[in-house]
Amino acid sequence: MHLTIAVSGINATDNPGPGTGIVRALRESALAKEVELRVIGLAYDSMEPGIYMHDIIDKSYLMPYPSTGRDSFISRLEYIHEQEHLSVIISALDAELPIFIDIADMLKKRYDIRLLIPDRTMFQLRDKTRLKELADKIGIRVPGYTVCSSRGDFTKAVESIGCPCMIKGPFYEAFKAYNAAEADEHFHKIINKWGYPVIVQAFIKGDEYNVIGCGDGKGSDLGLFAMRKMTVTGLGKVWNAVSISNKPMLDAAREMVKHLKWSGGFELEAMIDVAGDIYLIEVNPRFPAWVYMAAAAGINLPERMVRLLTGRPFDTHSDYASGKLMIRYTGEMLRDISDFEKIATAGEL
Amino acid sequence: MEFNRLKTLAISDSGFIFDPTSGHSFTTNATGIAIISALKTGTDPADIAHTILQKYEVSPDDAERDVGDFLNCLQKLMLI
Repeated sequence: MHLTIAVSGINATDNPGPGTGIVRALRESALAKEVELRVIGLAYDSMEPGIYMHDIIDKSYLMPYPSTGRDSFISRLEYIHEQEHLSVIISALDAELPIFIDIADMLKKRYDIRLLIPDRTMFQLRDKTRLKELADKIGIRVPGYTVCSSRGDFTKAVESIGCPCMIKGPFYEAFKAYNAAEADEHFHKIINKWGYPVIVQAFIKGDEYNVIGCGDGKGSDLGLFAMRKMTVTGLGKVWNAVSISNKPMLDAAREMVKHLKWSGGFELEAMIDVAGDIYLIEVNPRFPAWVYMAAAAGINLPERMVRLLTGRPFDTHSDYASGKLMIRYTGEMLRDISDFEKIATAGEL
Repeated sequence: MEFNRLKTLAISDSGFIFDPTSGHSFTTNATGIAIISALKTGTDPADIAHTILQKYEVSPDDAERDVGDFLNCLQKLMLI
């Protein structure tokens, strides 16, 4: 039996997307032994490494940027579906998620393509600007923050929160500012790239902890997995991590799934300070780039998601060993320039 | 002092300690392992100092001070 799954976020760069990790998790799953798995990569740039990883991704297609509009996005998906007969799409990029939220029902009804993603309400409830509301509901703290929609608001917020503080964009990027001048510099960087709002958040001294999970949309999770970041890159991306069994962190994630009736993959980012208090930093509405770590440790969430979507039995346990290390590494491939030509000119490879 | 947290630590013979709750790891020597093992079983710190005194050639003051220093260290690491 064939099962064709499209996966986005195959930009395995220094700012890695989750796509190739998701695909590796699927390739190594029990599901891959039960069905003939075909994996399609959805890329936004000809140089996304996943396009060239023919050992795990069968074929890749270039997608139009979500900002070009819904119609061109849908047309491209329709074309890909005509070629590939997609059963499932695993969306792994924040920027495309709003479009997928809009068209998920249509894709299911018209083409029987299934996605497990949050709806618009859930998506908004985990927004960076509403973290306190969510943290209160799930019983953890949140660093003090102010959402600024003008330069005046920003100056007042930095004064009142004090330095060091974190300066964050509405979707991506966060910078630590040690003084008001640095805060100003980061403010301009964010405004020029992302626009308003800009969030000024108190800096919490402690360690970074993350939980990955997947909600079934009815209040239950398909499994949870927690880790501590051991080293991060200059861009703040995890490079090494260790699995942990931290009950308060896992309970908070479980409570979030229950409270929001979360649907789809997610990553809960938190800091634990020296007193042991947990502070919610962010909730990402998709699997994170380190998703393979959880899968390799026995919590294969992409597999469980696909099983749920295709009506197959799936595990929901969160039984994994603490003390498992994730070692990220760099690697190189050699491909012919004709591969680049195909993806750059025909939009598929 | 509360020693329950020590019971969750994974300690190897080499002196490598992993805290599965925080994900932190530490190293200690044979004496450190012996002190943690004794604390885990509920042994009083004064009795631990006495055991060290019998096992190693140290003065009673040194043994007591060493155990005290080690407890301070565990406290700073939030392990007790």
